[in-house]
Amino acid sequence: MTELVCVGAVAGAYGVRGEVRLKSFCAEPEAIADYAPLQTEDGAHSYSVVLTGQMKNGFTAHLGGVATKEQADALKGLRLYAPRDRLPALEDDEFYHADLIGLEVVDTGGTVLGRVKAVMNHGADDLLEVYGPGMKATVLIPFTRTVVPTVDLTLGRIVADPPEGLF
Amino acid sequence: MTRSVWKGPFVDAYVLKKAEAARESGRNDVIKIWSRRSTILPQFVGLTFGVYNGQKHIPVSVTEDMIGQKFGEYSPTRTYYGHAADKKAKRK
Repeated sequence: MTELVCVGAVAGAYGVRGEVRLKSFCAEPEAIADYAPLQTEDGAHSYSVVLTGQMKNGFTAHLGGVATKEQADALKGLRLYAPRDRLPALEDDEFYHADLIGLEVVDTGGTVLGRVKAVMNHGADDLLEVYGPGMKATVLIPFTRTVVPTVDLTLGRIVADPPEGLF
Repeated sequence: MTRSVWKGPFVDAYVLKKAEAARESGRNDVIKIWSRRSTILPQFVGLTFGVYNGQKHIPVSVTEDMIGQKFGEYSPTRTYYGHAADKKAKRK
């Protein structure tokens, strides 16, 4: 499991009073403030977040310790991370994309099929995008109980029983 | 302009034929189709189609609330990954 999860980024300064334009990557964009204080990838800096308004593609916000436009300008492009354990607990059979990405995918016989590259949803079921050595292109497998009977986050492994015609 | 009701829903004949064969065989294989324009019919519920998006076949498990829509709606032709952040996936 990843320790830090990227939940947003600073798009630039907003106004002259030290506010920033904040892009949220969360499923519910306003939830980015719930995960505060947010930190940089190396953990060197930590910022409290107060959303002050909404704008196209994001929010305006006050970050803790950022008081001037120059300080806000300097943060442009900065990615903000939240510790994984700050994300709310999930129901049965629910998983965070961040937990699934990178897991090893094996078939029921134990043969390694590849690793999870991304999790997608195009309106039907959730899909796991799997890539592996020797594969020309990625393969999408439906994230259902029949196709993916076991998800073991502690072992970092997914057991899949993909239907004929996928691999 | 919407399609006239008297014509009934449009489905490519080969899709119907493949779906029928899959249902009779009882196997849960992915039915590869290229017809994005075909309407999803009630008899397709429970089957998994691999709908071509110009590059590969995207698996689409048909459920009841998809009836009446087109296969192509569930197989986007452009890829957007985005960030995982706190997004969740539910295993059905």
